[in-house]
Amino acid sequence: MTQDTIIRTQGATKIYNPTLPDEMVALDNVSVTIHQGQATVLKGPSGSGKTSLLSIIGCMSRPTAGKVIVKDRDVAKLPERYLTHIRRKIFGFIFQQFNLIRDISVQENVALPLYPADAGFAEIRKRVHTMLDSFGILSKRKLKVKKLSGGEQQRVAIARALINEPEIIIADEPTAHLDRELAADLLNILAGLVREGKTVIIATHDPLIFEHPFVDSTIAMRNGKIEPQPEEQ
Amino acid sequence: MIRRLKILEHALSSLLRRKYKNLAIIVVYSFTIMLLASILFLTHSLKIEAGNILLDAPELIIQKTMAGRHDLIPVEYADVIRKNWGIGKITPRYWGYYYDAFTHSNFTVLGSDTPLPILKMLEGTAPSRPGECLIGEGVAAVRQIGIGDELILINSEGLGVIFDVVGKFTASSDILTNDLIVLGEADTMDFLGFPPGKATDITVEVLNPKEVQNIAGKIKRDLPDTRPITKQEIIRTYDAVFNWRSGMMLTIFSSALVAFCILAWDKATGISGEEKNEIGILKAIGWDTSDILELKFWEGIVISLTAFLTGLLAAYVHVFYFGATILAPVIKGWSVLFPPFKLIPFVNLYQVFIIGFLTVVPYVASTIIPSWKAAITDPESVMRG
Ligand SMILES: Nc1ncnc2c1ncn2[C@@H]1O[C@H](COP(=O)(O)OP(=O)(O)O)[C@@H](O)[C@H]1O
Ligand SMILES: [Mg+2]
Repeated sequence: MTQDTIIRTQGATKIYNPTLPDEMVALDNVSVTIHQGQATVLKGPSGSGKTSLLSIIGCMSRPTAGKVIVKDRDVAKLPERYLTHIRRKIFGFIFQQFNLIRDISVQENVALPLYPADAGFAEIRKRVHTMLDSFGILSKRKLKVKKLSGGEQQRVAIARALINEPEIIIADEPTAHLDRELAADLLNILAGLVREGKTVIIATHDPLIFEHPFVDSTIAMRNGKIEPQPEEQ
Repeated sequence: MIRRLKILEHALSSLLRRKYKNLAIIVVYSFTIMLLASILFLTHSLKIEAGNILLDAPELIIQKTMAGRHDLIPVEYADVIRKNWGIGKITPRYWGYYYDAFTHSNFTVLGSDTPLPILKMLEGTAPSRPGECLIGEGVAAVRQIGIGDELILINSEGLGVIFDVVGKFTASSDILTNDLIVLGEADTMDFLGFPPGKATDITVEVLNPKEVQNIAGKIKRDLPDTRPITKQEIIRTYDAVFNWRSGMMLTIFSSALVAFCILAWDKATGISGEEKNEIGILKAIGWDTSDILELKFWEGIVISLTAFLTGLLAAYVHVFYFGATILAPVIKGWSVLFPPFKLIPFVNLYQVFIIGFLTVVPYVASTIIPSWKAAITDPESVMRG
């Protein structure tokens, strides 16, 4: 493993509903390497296995077979409890459909990842305020999420992903529900995170993203497999 | 600890978010608790009061029967009774019922020249002169009179008679004194129209309680047209009545519980897609399965305790301040309770605990269990929406 490798999969396979009639091989023997501090894009048509790969990389689920090595530790067979812990400590997620709790306030949404951690109320408030301020939505902190515009909701979602200061940010089709302008905003934010030294992994089939200059490497997927890429060594 | 408070805070905000639904649940839940607690409070208090009354009751009451019915008893029967060994005081009692047309209430009129045990708790004095009376709280209330006022009644000949109220029972609770009017013995005989030499019944003090059955048998033999009633028999009758009523109550009790279980079951089987999604989100952003179960535990506990305490309080007020009006149709049989009377609050903590246990535990379980399945599932589904 090279010095700057942060995540590596080795022969990762994900089979949904194994042995059942609707068995589905979503990932077939996938080996990829994600480098620390880089922006990596997973591209491929819908159904090619991008979300499945992000899930096992982000410790949201476990591969049916193979290894998933996150920061030198194989997480493929870890019990659920440890996976939760890793998610909390290392990952921040930006989901395609924001996945905010729409009926509670902006600040509570952003604070939620900190609830199971050690932080006290005062510290949480401070961190949430700073974070919301940096996204220019501090004044909206008491509003319910459903009262916000799409762009504002997106910022709340990003703020929530970053509140626990993750090393790795995972974004699944983050621009799918955004207009071009908001998508550009988002890419600027992601580019900024990479500049700060964070590792960013994005699944998308939006050319706007994988043609963006901040993207360091692209992994193409098809039918649950990695397609050989000329520019990858 | 702080973690726990944070999770509690989110539980509260989750509950507030579904205000109306949760309010509806609390209302149904509180009402169930109120019904259950009312029944238990009521029967328990009545039992205790009945017990208190019976404590003072004579060992033996002799009634005369005529054509199988209770009839006035000749006072000279006392001389026959006195011939038995082991007997203390023998007292003819003069009492009867009075229907008060003004207020559509039934009063009990009792003649007494000697202080009875139940006369202990009074305000003012017992009647010592003709034309004086002592009344129960219920009588005072329906007639809207007090000490120093006059009580006008219609006697057995249809004539109005005026009594001066000189005393009032303070124990608002006592089943016996509530509807009671105590007059002097001569006034009573006059007012109710007793033929000379007749009393309502005769009480007999038995020196050795073990001898009661024996003496009752002897009296029955000497005076075949009497019916000796022992204290034990009264207690048994009371018990039977209470048990029968408790049975009725138990029916309501269980139907309330069933209603509640339906509510709980409804919750247990249905967890909405929205709730599932939220659990997934929380897991995805780093909440443990145990954190989620704790969240649901708090949600269940907050609802449960709120409803439980509200219901308990409502039951207390309902039974002890409003005379159990909701249960009235079922307890109509307690006609002695008319005019309306107030119970002294006796609460059995053990029963309260039982109600709590039978409702809070299933409710909380029904909140946690369905979420548990969602909480142990991989949060991956959140990513797919
Ligand atoms: N829970 C599941 N059960 C069965 N099949 C699934 C499940 N999740 C995903 N799949 C299937 O796995 C394949 C890969 O899906 P996914 O990883 O979501 O691809 P992408 O994100 O590239 O669209 C698809 O054919 C999808 O239908
Ligand atoms: Mg996908």
